Amino acid sequence: MAETALAELNYKSKLKLALFPTIWCPGCGIGTIMMQLAMVLDEMAMDETNTIIVSGIGCTGRMGSYMQFESVYTLHGRTLPVAEAIKTVRPEMNVIVVAGDGDTASIGGNHLVHSIRRNVPVTVLCNNNEIYGLTGGQTGPTTPTGTKTLSSPSGNPNTPINLQGIVRSSPHALYAKSTVYHQTHLRNAIREAIEHPGFSFVDITSQCIENNGRRIGFANANEMLTYYRKGYKRAPKDADTLGPMEIGVLRPEAERVGNGAARPLVVEAAPAVETPRPKAAPVDDEEKARKRAESQQKLALMQKLSPETKVRVAKGEISLADALLEAGVEEGPA
Amino acid sequence: MRRLMQGNEAVFRGALAAGASYYAGYPISPSTEILNVASGWAAEHPEFGFLQAEDEIASANAVIGASLAGAKAFTATSGPGFSLMQEAVGYAQKVGVPSVFVNVQRVGPATGMPTMPGQGDIMQVRYGSTGDYTPLAFYPNSVAEAFSTTVLAFNAAEESRSPVVLLSDTFVGHLNEVVDPEELAAAATVAPRELAPLGRHEFGSPRFFAGVLMYEHGPNAGEPATADADEYLRQYYAAKHRHLEVANRYALYQHGWNVDAQTLVICYGIVSRVAAPLAPDYALFRPIRIHPMLGDELRAIAERYEHIVAIEANDGQYADMAELTLRREVKRVPLLGGRISMEALRAGLDRVLGGGPAEPPIPLAPTEAVERSPLGIG
Repeated sequence: MAETALAELNYKSKLKLALFPTIWCPGCGIGTIMMQLAMVLDEMAMDETNTIIVSGIGCTGRMGSYMQFESVYTLHGRTLPVAEAIKTVRPEMNVIVVAGDGDTASIGGNHLVHSIRRNVPVTVLCNNNEIYGLTGGQTGPTTPTGTKTLSSPSGNPNTPINLQGIVRSSPHALYAKSTVYHQTHLRNAIREAIEHPGFSFVDITSQCIENNGRRIGFANANEMLTYYRKGYKRAPKDADTLGPMEIGVLRPEAERVGNGAARPLVVEAAPAVETPRPKAAPVDDEEKARKRAESQQKLALMQKLSPETKVRVAKGEISLADALLEAGVEEGPA
Repeated sequence: MRRLMQGNEAVFRGALAAGASYYAGYPISPSTEILNVASGWAAEHPEFGFLQAEDEIASANAVIGASLAGAKAFTATSGPGFSLMQEAVGYAQKVGVPSVFVNVQRVGPATGMPTMPGQGDIMQVRYGSTGDYTPLAFYPNSVAEAFSTTVLAFNAAEESRSPVVLLSDTFVGHLNEVVDPEELAAAATVAPRELAPLGRHEFGSPRFFAGVLMYEHGPNAGEPATADADEYLRQYYAAKHRHLEVANRYALYQHGWNVDAQTLVICYGIVSRVAAPLAPDYALFRPIRIHPMLGDELRAIAERYEHIVAIEANDGQYADMAELTLRREVKRVPLLGGRISMEALRAGLDRVLGGGPAEPPIPLAPTEAVERSPLGIG
């Protein structure tokens, strides 16, 4: 049992734990995104030889520095041109962009529009916290109308940008919407986005309690997560648009209609220069279900530990089994 | 085989000879032919990466991404596009990204005179991005030299791990001259890529290429160094010394014409071609490496001459640098508005050598509608 639980901690090998704790504020949602991304990358056998992380400026941009991957921390807003060029030069690599809503949709908005037009085969994880957090809490492109921020003291007068509409303007792009509360959904969405051969975009609602949440009436991060839990619903499987409070994955039209028909690839693989594009190890449904169950069990066990011990386990200073013993906690049925 | 070749095409051919395998750009006069030739080449050579980007900001950042991924990469633009690229140039300076930025100059500022030649970006190359850095820049004056200098620019970029600027202008870019591209390519020596491409780091933990100051080695590797002046000094001077050392290998200039004359004329790019009829009566100093300033070289040459005159298609940008370097007067003949003619040049020389001002007599405003320029507004 203890060994299985430890195996579930494998994703930690995708993180530079020596640099922990991170610079992010207590209660920030970015850590959840990073954890889920690390889990997916671990699941898909992605490592530093086949995957590049490109990040933008802002709180989210620092994610690249905490991950065991070669990473480019670009100028503000410029993730996509950098990512596209990397993918062109090294088509065998998986290129994953992590950036906030400001970086992606405001200063980088033009690149977003055109990367979608060119169906650049990269995956964008957009940490959509609806605020400029790093600079203290100014209105961002996704800030809801009426929200009071440092730069809109009488409420944001503008309509937030329609990321779904922009991404879905291309018949080839995949758009997924999730939240940091819906972790399994988020993980599956990230995986599907990475597996999508064209442009894919995961719009992840997450909480910025320090520089947004508190100002708009939430007492703590937990209240924001509770709000996500109660507010967001899964869209029907065949939905072709998501409502403002729906989560789901919108696949490109060609794929939905063709049901397995050949997907259009934009960048043809160059004559084999390096290793071929790594494919994730095939995981059947049974295996998935088993892994999921193990993961949930391990999470439940972790919850029984004190926060200090959790950090020690996460850093690998102590095994989960030992930590449980030390804390005098029953492991429960395997 | 000898054939007619355009200056802009020579830049592209030189880049290929230097091992370039990625080009990103955005159409802008008078550099567009480089984009056109690159797209044609890419269509026939799938291993050559090509991007017509949405703007020059994207082009410049794509060059950075391509270079970090392992390709020798470059872009070409003109003044306004180069302005948009400045932030990326600074990033490439900070991170140490080998890359080449070609600027085929026209008359600025702003959209200016898109089809007319200018040299107004000498200082933009030096100081255009935020913060301190030590750029390398070259400026050829012929088609053959455009080819060979492009090769040098790529080599200097690899050796210094920095964005090297290749300057040109409307006329050098659009000159057609007979060259032998095979011979030029055969004469090129090519510097290898030393920086390991993304995903292929050789030791330690995976790299984090960042525009923000980070500790790169030692016990704090991977942590931000955003409040540590000591770390700034270490990284800043390491880069500066590296760039200066590489620049010393490429101290290219021409000292010629009548070297025994009393007056030394400083000019470069197309102006040095237009000024050729001055040969019997003047000495020439033509810097090919524009940045860093050829200090020792110019000082040693200048002391032989009574007068020094800088003739440039800008309002004295190189003259400013030369004056600072020499600590003596450098007279200026600015050829502005695209009027790079022997007539304007002679008039300017006579004016300043006769003790007159650098500023030319200002023409009276037209009283009648002027004939529409055959060049249009580009």
